[in-house]
Amino acid sequence: MFNFYLLSSILLISLIFFFLGNNRAKKLIILNQKNLHSLTHYYGVYSLLASLLPTLGLFFIFTICDDLLFAELIKKYIPKEVVTSKDYNFAIVLAQINNSVEGLIFGTPPQWVTNAAEIWVSWVHKSQIITVISCISTALISGFFGYKKINSDFRSRNAVEKIVMSILAVSSVIAILTTIAIIFSVVFESVRFFALIPYDEFLFGTVWNPQFEGAERAGSGQEGLSQYGAIPLFAGTLLISIIALCVSVPVGLFSAIYLSEYATSKERAFFKPLLEVLAGIPTVVYGFFAALTVAPFLRSSGSIFGLDVASESALAAGLVMGIMIIPFISSLSDDVINAVPQSLRDASYGLGSTKNETVIKIVLPAALPGIVASIILAVSRAVGETMIVVMAAGLAANLTANPLEAVTTVTSQIVTILVGDQEFESAKTLSAFALALTLIIITLAMNFYALHVVKKYREQYE
Amino acid sequence: MNNINNLKSLELTVGDPFSKTARLKARNVNVFYGNNRAIDNVTIDIGSKEVISFIGPSGCGKSTFLRCFNRMNDTIDSCVVQGEISIDDENIYDKKIDVVPLRARIGMVFQKPNPFPKSIYDNVAYGPRIHGLSESKQHLDYIVEESLKRAGLWNEVNDRLQSAGTGLSGGQQQRLCIARAIAVSPEVILMDEPCSALDPIATAKIEDLIHELGNDYSIVIVTHSMQQAARVSKRTAYFHLGKLIEVGRTKDIFTRPQHNKTEAYISGKIG
Amino acid sequence: MNNKIITPLEASDKVKKSIAKRRAKDKRLKFYGRAAISLAVCFLLILFYSIFLKGYSGFFQYYVTLDINFDRERIDPKGDLSDNSLFDGEASAIVNESLFSIIQPQGRKAKKQAKKIVSSGKDVRITKMVKNDPSLFGTITKVKFALDDDIDSFLRGYIKRETPESERRISNKVIEYIDKLNEEGRISYEFSDYILTGSASGNPEMAGIKGAFIGSMLTLSVCLLIAFPLGVATAIYLEEIAKKNKITEFIEVNINNLAAVPSVVFGIMGLAIFISIFGMPRSIPLVGGMVLALMTLPTIIISSRAAIRAVPPSVRDAAYGIGASKLQVIFHHVIPLAMPGMLTGTIIGMAQALGETAPLLMIGMVAFIVDVPNSVVDPGTVLPVQIFMWADFAERMFIQKTSAAIIVLLGFLISMNALAVYLRKKLERRW
Repeated sequence: MFNFYLLSSILLISLIFFFLGNNRAKKLIILNQKNLHSLTHYYGVYSLLASLLPTLGLFFIFTICDDLLFAELIKKYIPKEVVTSKDYNFAIVLAQINNSVEGLIFGTPPQWVTNAAEIWVSWVHKSQIITVISCISTALISGFFGYKKINSDFRSRNAVEKIVMSILAVSSVIAILTTIAIIFSVVFESVRFFALIPYDEFLFGTVWNPQFEGAERAGSGQEGLSQYGAIPLFAGTLLISIIALCVSVPVGLFSAIYLSEYATSKERAFFKPLLEVLAGIPTVVYGFFAALTVAPFLRSSGSIFGLDVASESALAAGLVMGIMIIPFISSLSDDVINAVPQSLRDASYGLGSTKNETVIKIVLPAALPGIVASIILAVSRAVGETMIVVMAAGLAANLTANPLEAVTTVTSQIVTILVGDQEFESAKTLSAFALALTLIIITLAMNFYALHVVKKYREQYE
Repeated sequence: MNNINNLKSLELTVGDPFSKTARLKARNVNVFYGNNRAIDNVTIDIGSKEVISFIGPSGCGKSTFLRCFNRMNDTIDSCVVQGEISIDDENIYDKKIDVVPLRARIGMVFQKPNPFPKSIYDNVAYGPRIHGLSESKQHLDYIVEESLKRAGLWNEVNDRLQSAGTGLSGGQQQRLCIARAIAVSPEVILMDEPCSALDPIATAKIEDLIHELGNDYSIVIVTHSMQQAARVSKRTAYFHLGKLIEVGRTKDIFTRPQHNKTEAYISGKIG
Repeated sequence: MNNKIITPLEASDKVKKSIAKRRAKDKRLKFYGRAAISLAVCFLLILFYSIFLKGYSGFFQYYVTLDINFDRERIDPKGDLSDNSLFDGEASAIVNESLFSIIQPQGRKAKKQAKKIVSSGKDVRITKMVKNDPSLFGTITKVKFALDDDIDSFLRGYIKRETPESERRISNKVIEYIDKLNEEGRISYEFSDYILTGSASGNPEMAGIKGAFIGSMLTLSVCLLIAFPLGVATAIYLEEIAKKNKITEFIEVNINNLAAVPSVVFGIMGLAIFISIFGMPRSIPLVGGMVLALMTLPTIIISSRAAIRAVPPSVRDAAYGIGASKLQVIFHHVIPLAMPGMLTGTIIGMAQALGETAPLLMIGMVAFIVDVPNSVVDPGTVLPVQIFMWADFAERMFIQKTSAAIIVLLGFLISMNALAVYLRKKLERRW
């Protein structure tokens, strides 16, 4: 609530400066009997921005730094015994204090918690006063300076436009910031993971059995209790992706061939969007379909043939994932097939080829790099897919090539580990980050390769 | 609509459109793109082992008419062909006729060279392979070699038959396309402005080639260059706005044209 | 095996011989193409059909009509309709009494089983009714109550009489009672008043999607408010203002990479940065919206750039020609013309965000949230996550309600995509 009122006041002050600036500009026009460089509203906007932007910046700095600063300073108020105790976890202590601050009291917290909370609250009050004073004064002072700048020579529109362009530039940096944030968050925690588990065990170990544990791993006589060999996960991901490709590549490719070479324009206008619908269905719906329709169906038809199909088989998840990926392959392949120049087809028909000879011997080989790229992109999508495998494939790591068994994948392990209780210090939680890192590297590598293939292919025709 | 189609053109073709050794006979051919008439009631014979040029100003329909002979207009949805074109007295537009053997008998070379993104060997061997013309690998090698020789390309590429066809120069690519067309043993070769994308030296080489090929094949060549027509062909047909105005010996067309429109084109007044 | 040139006649012969096989191959390829498309369409139809089949009945459930004696002293002992008073009241007992008067269970065990027939939300129903309309006090009115989900499954035929009692979820006695109620015509099958107005609940008969739906709306609003301005601003900057140098190339590469990153990873980033480092609370639409905004940003940027690029240079030239500044050209001329493309791209991005589950799971929008969120900082969940959670529950009725929820979700997605297609057609300009 406090923030809301403060922000509203800041906004109000800037608006006042807008009117002041506008009016001053109008007066100058009357005074000088001629127009200024820019339209009057630009002077108003300039004053508004002069008042608003520095103040907003200050406001955000205060708000963000507050909590960080308090968290550091409150450390002094945690008794020594607590800090040196075995289970000490600053995040939990901080949460306790925060709960007390907000009045969420369960039972009777220790006295030091209540004390610390009281001190925190007093700090918050002090900081609020400081924030209000500095923000309001900044708004007034900087707004006044902006207002002062308005004279007959001032080219306000240029100034305003420069400010706007900087804002636009900053927003495009957000994309980079996001990438940095992703890399930072994943790499940072993965590094901590690899400090606990050697990475050759992670990459080459064949048993995946993470547990929450109180004790350190090695050297406590509990070897073999928790293992982080990710090979079964990679194998599971691979198995399901291969099954998905077995469905999507034939269906997608032949659909693309038909739509681009054989279909009438009516057929194309009807079926192409229909295939796109497959891509628009949320993956949770596919997961539900896989778990509650496809898996039981496979299980019962399996038993007819005397096969033992697990209720969470890789086959069920793979089939449904294949269905989801069909449009990736059909759409992209359709585009590259259409991009093959008509002159090649003319040459082929001119020699007396049938349509399928032209397609198979001339068009497809020419389009092949693009088709391969589309398959790689589809695989990368399959590898990164989460919901279908969480809902339809198993959770137990199982190193097998049998599609009728239950396997788990990298993504479903990430979800399983991070949904629920987390201790950011344990190897189990950190392993999810290591898995995420592997996932990012693999999918980005595949995307780079696919783009590279498409680029080379485009050079051929341009 | 139909009545207009069946009306004979008020202007009759001047000269002699017929040929004693006719391989292809076109009778009252009309071609429409949608509602626009591109070819207006054309009747002409293509003789055996002769080179005949189609000339005329841009947009007069020469290429469209050329493409009627091997039914390449089938690939364009809005194109409708009326009338009769027959080879060996069989109308090629008859529903029973399969277009594949037709196109093997009547080959085509296009304006812009379009070799397949395959090796030189595979480019030439493509036709014989799909039609099953060769009996063995050696036979196929022979066909490729002969075709390249006849196209005047063998000496330049025989040491690099496996290299990409697209790596050749423009003139070489066009000769490769000619070799490709020859490899399926056609009787007629249609050429749609084959030299317009080439430099003068390459053009000269190909013109010589065409002159030679005329001894073995019927060649119909569309050209916008009167000089080219004069150089390569014995007979010439002048088209104007979709109508066949005059047909005759090339020498006569250029020195004593009978129709005033022909005369106007030759002397540069139109086109 | 003589190497000779083939004469045209021989060639023609050979070609004619080869035709039949080649035409057959051509027909085969066409057939494969058709078969592939039919297969894909089949998959789509089976998917929709199975969901619709399961979900249609999720919008309905079984109710029992009982005559309730609205005795004020028993329902509202303090007489002030306060929550405390109603909590102390005996609304449940009154309902049970009414039920027992019809089926007359004998003995403690029978009574215990009978108490479970009506859904455990019966007291809430009574208290809500009297709060809305205190004039009910002192009357005996017919009230419809939802039946417990096991009874509901029995009435639909999923729990069968023929199964031996020990393997069944409801006992023979209960079946007797149901038959009795049925004879008196008190059991009806109606449009569920829980599915759309109720929130998450452990009891399938009371479960509804209202909370998840509002959570979705809030989260999407946050996402839109963040992603649209940022995306458009970035697109404008990259297309119109920035010079083509290494930095802009780097930004472009970044954007393309982000479009390729799996959605789970965005959730992890949200977990690590927004929740751990910034200390924001978990499970609130604000954080969910921020994560989804970052995910949708590449889509909006890419489609906005395409829309801006499609505006012909002649428009810009004309504007510069009359002396407009760069920003005036952009905001007064280019953006209005590019807006349709930007809007359709944004709508499509929002539709994708609506269906996202994994990243929101990561930031914790998975707790058992019963309350409907009132603002973007109240804990909530979203529709796809709700579907995910319900899919785990084994009760039959949850399967139906989950399918019903999926139907609602798909309905929204189809409308959003239809809107995008409509806008694109309507506002399309042929330059």
